[in-house]
Amino acid sequence: MNRFKRMLGIATMLFTALAWVQPVSAQENLVDTIKKRGKLQVGFSSFVPWAMRDKQGQWVGFEIDVANKLAKDLGVQLELIPTAWDGIIPSLIASKFDVIIGGMSVTPARLEQIDFTEAYSTSGQGIAASKKLAANLKWPDGYNSPNVTFTCRRGATPCKLIEEKWPKATLRQFDDDAIAFQEVINGNAHATVSSEPKPTFFALKNPDTLFKPTDVKLTVSSEGFGVRKNNKAALASFNDWIAKNKDFLAARHKYWFGTQDWAAMVPAS
Amino acid sequence: MSTGAQPEPAATRPRPAARRRAWRWQDYILLGLALFACSYFAWKTNVVFKYNWDWSSVWPFLFRLDPASGRWTPNILVEGFFTTIRLAVWGILIAGVVGTLMGLARNSRRLFLRLLSGAYVMLIRNVPPVVFVFVFVFFIASQIMPRLALAETVAGLPPLAQSVVAFFFGSPKLIDNFALGLICLSVFSGAYVTEIVRAGIESVPRSQIEAGESLGLSRPDIVRYVILPQAMRNVLPPMAGQFIQLIKDSSLVSLVSIQELSFMAQDVQVSTQRVFEVFVFVGVVYFVICFTLSLLFARLERRAAAAYR
Repeated sequence: MNRFKRMLGIATMLFTALAWVQPVSAQENLVDTIKKRGKLQVGFSSFVPWAMRDKQGQWVGFEIDVANKLAKDLGVQLELIPTAWDGIIPSLIASKFDVIIGGMSVTPARLEQIDFTEAYSTSGQGIAASKKLAANLKWPDGYNSPNVTFTCRRGATPCKLIEEKWPKATLRQFDDDAIAFQEVINGNAHATVSSEPKPTFFALKNPDTLFKPTDVKLTVSSEGFGVRKNNKAALASFNDWIAKNKDFLAARHKYWFGTQDWAAMVPAS
Repeated sequence: MSTGAQPEPAATRPRPAARRRAWRWQDYILLGLALFACSYFAWKTNVVFKYNWDWSSVWPFLFRLDPASGRWTPNILVEGFFTTIRLAVWGILIAGVVGTLMGLARNSRRLFLRLLSGAYVMLIRNVPPVVFVFVFVFFIASQIMPRLALAETVAGLPPLAQSVVAFFFGSPKLIDNFALGLICLSVFSGAYVTEIVRAGIESVPRSQIEAGESLGLSRPDIVRYVILPQAMRNVLPPMAGQFIQLIKDSSLVSLVSIQELSFMAQDVQVSTQRVFEVFVFVGVVYFVICFTLSLLFARLERRAAAAYR
């Protein structure tokens, strides 16, 4: 039994150590923390045209404009923390940054884990389909068949949407949007769903292989800043900022989503 | 190989027969078949796979002309490459040290050390790497890193020390990010190195240790002068494999946003929409890094073999 006692002792030691490293800041005032630090840390993931790298390797995009203005108005510096989409909510919860400004649409599932501000932008989901495979499919009922393959970016809103709208269709999920589209261009999948204007841009860029079964947006979703739970004060102050900056947000949204004026900044072909 | 299954004392191990170097007609036929298969696949791929290769959107991400200074500076892909190299060098060092200590502990006379190192190996080796990375980063490291306050410490250093830190560990702003990836990678690979070292230690004949004892060497001296040199020489080939694996595994930490080559490549992929150019480029870069390491280990093996002559 000696060995058992020793193991028990080790386990107790480990648990004590764990208790010691538990974070003490259960009730934090986020805005105070940000101002004290002098830096607003924003988590996001690359996604055209929300946030992308320009030719200089610098971040540009709608989110970047929003984050810059928010930091400026708070009177602090901006620290951008690019984060893999799969881990972006765990990273927020683990305090790797203060807020997600990442084109994240508000969904009930996400609301269980984090809080969202009021919408600072709205976007719609669009569809692009393969000319080779889907040209003769009846829109939209013809797509609801096990023989039809959809692609989407894993963990993003479109995956959910596809499952709801076409429950019988096969769904293949990829780590990023570019590959999801490429599979459709290559004729390995019938269609992909993504935030507009991307499906439209892709269809225009690849007229031989892609077409749009419909130009109507499949759903309209709204995006909010993601904030850790129990941050009422921060949520209120972000909401306040969004209300005050409605015009700015609308203008930037129009620039990034309604025009292609920025295309020369990015080395996409 | 002529050595066979019988364990022989290393010093008398016969050298393998000289290898044949001349080509025969069978070799030419095989080569022809292999070339034919490759070109058939290449041709077939071009037919099936609709893709307009366009490399021009990848190159700008290697180097950029800095408008402020007018000089060419590394862009994100090259920065990511250096981060991967730093992860690789430090990762090999730390995993090597951790693995050697743990490998010794696996053969220790003390029960506690054996249990500790055994638990370490079993825990890490039997969990999928992706799960380990996530659990480690979000549950363990996120509690420890803020207490280390690395970024603050570095920011407080004089400029010269800061540039030294930047050379060895990358941009001071990203030092937390880098350290996180490094610890994760080293702890993970260390478990595999441990087992390799254990195998090496167990390959040293008992008579060698007895010889050391009869010379009156202390226990630490036996470990240092008798066991480890022979053990390490014996395990060079699997060790090379493990370190190459470590370099490739370093792409795993891109999942938790460590800004190394794979992570940067993904950004470039998304921004430019050029998926396959970036994939191919990254593949070639990893190949070059790993191949260089292979050559290095081949040299080490030749030197180690010379020790037996």
